[in-house]
Order: sequence, then structure tokens, then C-alpha cells
Amino acid sequence: MPKQKLTPLPSAAFQILLSLAGDDLHGYAIMRHVADQTSGRMRLGPGTLYNSLQSLLEAKLIEELDPREDPRLNHERRRYYRLTSTGRKLARSEADRLADLLRVARAKKILRGDYV
Amino acid sequence: MSEKIYACLLRLYPSHFRRSHGEDALQLFCDRLRDETGFIARTRLWLDLFLDLVISVPREYRRPQTVLIAASAAHPPDGAPLFFVLEDGGLRPSALFSGCALTLAGLSLFTVLLSHAGSLRHLNFVTSSTQFQSLSNHSPHTTPPVIAHDQLLMTASPLESSSSTDLQPSPLAIASAAGVVPSVDNPKLDPDRERVLNAVISNLRLHYVDPSLAEQMAGSLLAHARKGDDSAATDGYTFAYLLTSQMREVSQDMHLEVAYSSAPIPDRPRKLSSEDLAHYRDLLLRDNCAFKKVKVLHRNIGYLKLDVFADPAFCGSTAVSAMRTLNGADAIIFDLRDNHGGSAGMVNLLASYLFDHPEYMYDPRGTPTLRSFTQSPVAGNNLVHKPVYVLTSSTTVSAAEQFCYDLKMLHRATIVGETTRGSAHAGVFYRIDDHFGIGIPEAHSINPYSTPDWEGTGVQPDIPVPASSALSTSLSRITHHVSPQ
Repeated sequence: MPKQKLTPLPSAAFQILLSLAGDDLHGYAIMRHVADQTSGRMRLGPGTLYNSLQSLLEAKLIEELDPREDPRLNHERRRYYRLTSTGRKLARSEADRLADLLRVARAKKILRGDYV
Repeated sequence: MSEKIYACLLRLYPSHFRRSHGEDALQLFCDRLRDETGFIARTRLWLDLFLDLVISVPREYRRPQTVLIAASAAHPPDGAPLFFVLEDGGLRPSALFSGCALTLAGLSLFTVLLSHAGSLRHLNFVTSSTQFQSLSNHSPHTTPPVIAHDQLLMTASPLESSSSTDLQPSPLAIASAAGVVPSVDNPKLDPDRERVLNAVISNLRLHYVDPSLAEQMAGSLLAHARKGDDSAATDGYTFAYLLTSQMREVSQDMHLEVAYSSAPIPDRPRKLSSEDLAHYRDLLLRDNCAFKKVKVLHRNIGYLKLDVFADPAFCGSTAVSAMRTLNGADAIIFDLRDNHGGSAGMVNLLASYLFDHPEYMYDPRGTPTLRSFTQSPVAGNNLVHKPVYVLTSSTTVSAAEQFCYDLKMLHRATIVGETTRGSAHAGVFYRIDDHFGIGIPEAHSINPYSTPDWEGTGVQPDIPVPASSALSTSLSRITHHVSPQ
């Protein structure tokens, strides 16, 4: 089931949610954002990207923009995606979870410094 | 060639993926192909793709098709046989093994056939034709491609229902006449492809600005069809893309384009009423005419983020007000990274503030008029000699590309960011049928510069950096040149 697929949240899905936190983006822009925010370590291929987007759409964590909502999109061949409020909450809770992990890692002296 | 290979590889995915995301995946591949040039980048691209295929193809086959199942259950047809989608579970190992064995056998057979390639191409044509029809069933999830533009005049083509008897024989007819292709099982499939090809050729002959070149393109299109080069097209979008490539190969005219839309193309554009225009104006004004940010940053750097070049008839005063806000700046940044294009009039209006004399702004979308010149000098304007930076991304398009191209050619701005999308949309759009159309330039607007315009190639940045770091790069460069107050 879709929800089971996203529990725990896969890394690619989390990166996609983060990329959409700032703006509505189409597939290629999402791929570029993810590459940028991971310093090029994660380059989502078309199959992985659209597979993840489909799972996120089914779980209602993102939504596809209706071109009628924005007349500018009528001229676009591409599909734009937007983070839903549920998706934003999930991304925030995932970020909190990672922050907790970091706190533990610092307490155990595995990581040093205030920022990673 | 690379697109054809990837279009073939896409067939490895299950049909539900190709229906939902096939066009998007191909578009993404084309975007990467355009942006990632050079041996190392290309090698990395193909490695990424193969790795992606290995990971994502099995995953897609395991994905339950909940939507199809729900749709089947929700709408039982009256009296008609009911089919259930039985792809809920994953593939059995034995099925995978059988699939591999069959694939190997198929590849071996293909290798043998290659050595007897005499009739193979004709065989390919029939096969692809059938697939083309089956995949052109329109998915409600498919976003229509760009088929209309503010500069394009949509015209119901008189050739839409014209008989093909006066045209050259179709590729299929030629193949059939040669006795290579038996009459196909489903004879109504092939005329679709044939009709589109004939209509494209007829429109070229009738409307293209250079008749002899139109004839050469017609000959080339037919030759490609005869050779089966269109066999890579498994859907309408790819077929349109192939025809476009074949025409451009002969003419080198990047403004020629066959377009495909999964949504029906209207017979003729609806005439805008005064209420429509008023509504449009309200929408623009509510959005501040897409002037998203107008502010003076640290070190007195003017920053203007513009997402659409709106019609100055509605938004002229907003533009004037924005430029007045930035009038005291020591440098100015136009952020067009999210710009979707728009009106050449707004391009000229904003550019007017950057020159002290009327400057010609080349626009391949129209013949030059007095309005092609900037309205420089602007009274009270202080920006004429100030450094100008324009930020771009791979989605910066159309009129935004005109702004970048002209300022770059006039050495008036430094372009920072990514190569723009490469769409000039110059030409008249002719409707072929409900889903296909062709854009044909009917007039030559002479480019005063030696560099070709941005159609198909985009505007190259002077400082190529990822779009996300274009602003910081520009700010850093400006602070080295602008003396702090």
C-alpha cells in the first residue's frame, strides 16, 4: 500500500519534499534542486523520480498543479507539483527525527560542532 | 539519436508508467541531454540512466495499480464484460525467469534478422504504427504540451480533411505496393500516422516561406518514413518530435515545429470578450503584474524578480513604478529564473531604462516596427550606465529569453545562471487534427546579430552556474565592482 511504502520515508521522497518546500516545481527542476541540496550526491533518474512522485501523490503529500489555476502554466508542457500541508508536516517531523539523531550523535561524540 | 534510444528504453517500463509519466521522463532526459554536455557529463548521464532503469523498472512492475482497480470496480459497464486488473502482487520468480529467457531469445532472433535486414525496416514501421495508435489513447493525467502561444495565430487548416490523392504516396502505401507489407490486421490504425504526415507536408508546401526548401523537407520526411525512421515513435508526442527533428535537419530552421497535444486542440481560438480581458487584467493586477520582488538590497543593489512579462497595456504603470523604485541603485539584477515569458512590449519597456538612445530589440516572433525600439531615453532615469545582471534557469522561456538574448548581444547585461529553455515560438500555428498541429514561420525577421537566436538552443549564460546560486554569484561579482556608499 502507498502509505506503507512511505514509512519510513525513503531518502529520495524526503529530498523531493524538501525541494518543494520553497516553490512549486516540475520534474526536472526537482531533480536539479535535489542534486543541489545534496551537493550532487543524489541525482534522481527519471524512473526513480516519477516513481517517488507517484507515491507522494497517492499519499497526498504533494499535489499536481492544475494549469487552470495558473494561466501561465497553460503554455507549459510540464507538470508542476506542490507540497500539501500534510507533506509539509511529514517533512517537518522527518527533519525533527533527523535532528534528534544528530543530537544523539553529538552526545556520543561521533559528531562535533554545532552545525553539520 | 540519444532521444530515440531512451524512448526505446522507456518501453521497458510497464504501460501504466509510460501512460502516466512517459512523456515527462523523456522530457527530463532531453533536459539533461541539453544541459549536460561533454564526454564526462554524458557518460555520467548514461550511467545514471542505466542504474535508474535497473532500480526503478522492477519497482514499477511491483507497484499495485490501485487507480485502475478502483476504476474498474467503480464503473461496471452494463452488460459488457468486466475486466479486473490482476497486477496487485509482485512478479513470481518463475515469471521473471521466463521473461528473461524470452528476452534473450528475442534478442538472438533480432540479431539474426539484422543480418537479413532487407525487409526489417518495413516490418518495424507496421509494428510501431500499431503501438503509436494504442499509446495515443489519451490519459487524463497527461499534461498537454505547448501548442499555442500569444504570438501564434491558431488557424483551422483547410488541409485537415483534404484527400491525400494529390499528395505523394504514403510510406505505408509504398511499402504495401512493394509487396513487403501485407495488409495490416487493423487497417484503421495506419491512416492516422499517414494523415498527419501528409498534412504536415501539405502545410509546409503551402505556407513555408521558402518553397524549394519546403519541397526538400517534404522529400526528406517521406524518405525517413519509407526507411522506417519513425519507428521509434510510440506515442503522439514522440512522433511529433521526430517529424520536427527531420524538418529541422534539412532546413536548420529551429522555428519549425510539429506539436502534439493530448488534450483536444480547439477548432479555432475563442475570441476574448471584454469581460475576459477585464478578468485577465484583474488577475494581473492582483498578482502585481508578476513583479514578485522589487527592492534595494545591501550595498545599494537593485533587485527585480519578474515571473511574467505582462502586457504593458495592463501593467505599464506597475513596471514604471518598479523601475522608479530602483532608480537610485548602483547596479541592477533582473531575476528571470522563474519567468514564463509573455509580451515583447514589456521587454522593450523595461529595456528602455537601460539605454540612453532608442535601441533595436530583435524579436524573431514578429516583423520589425517602430515598437521594436526601446523608448530610451527615459526622463529622470539614472540606470543607463549602471551594471546589469540577468539571472536565468533552464525554465526561463520565450519573452524572457528575448530579454536575455538582446541585452547579451548589445553587451548591456551579464547573464548569470543556466542555459535558458530555448523557445522562441515564432510562426503561425496550423491545426492538423484534434491532437496535432504545426508551427510554420511565414516571414523572416532578419537577425542583426551573427549568433542564431535562442530557438532550440537557449541563451547561454556569460557565467554558467546552477540557477540556485545565480543570485549569490551575481551579488558577489557586483560587490567587487560597485563601490559601497
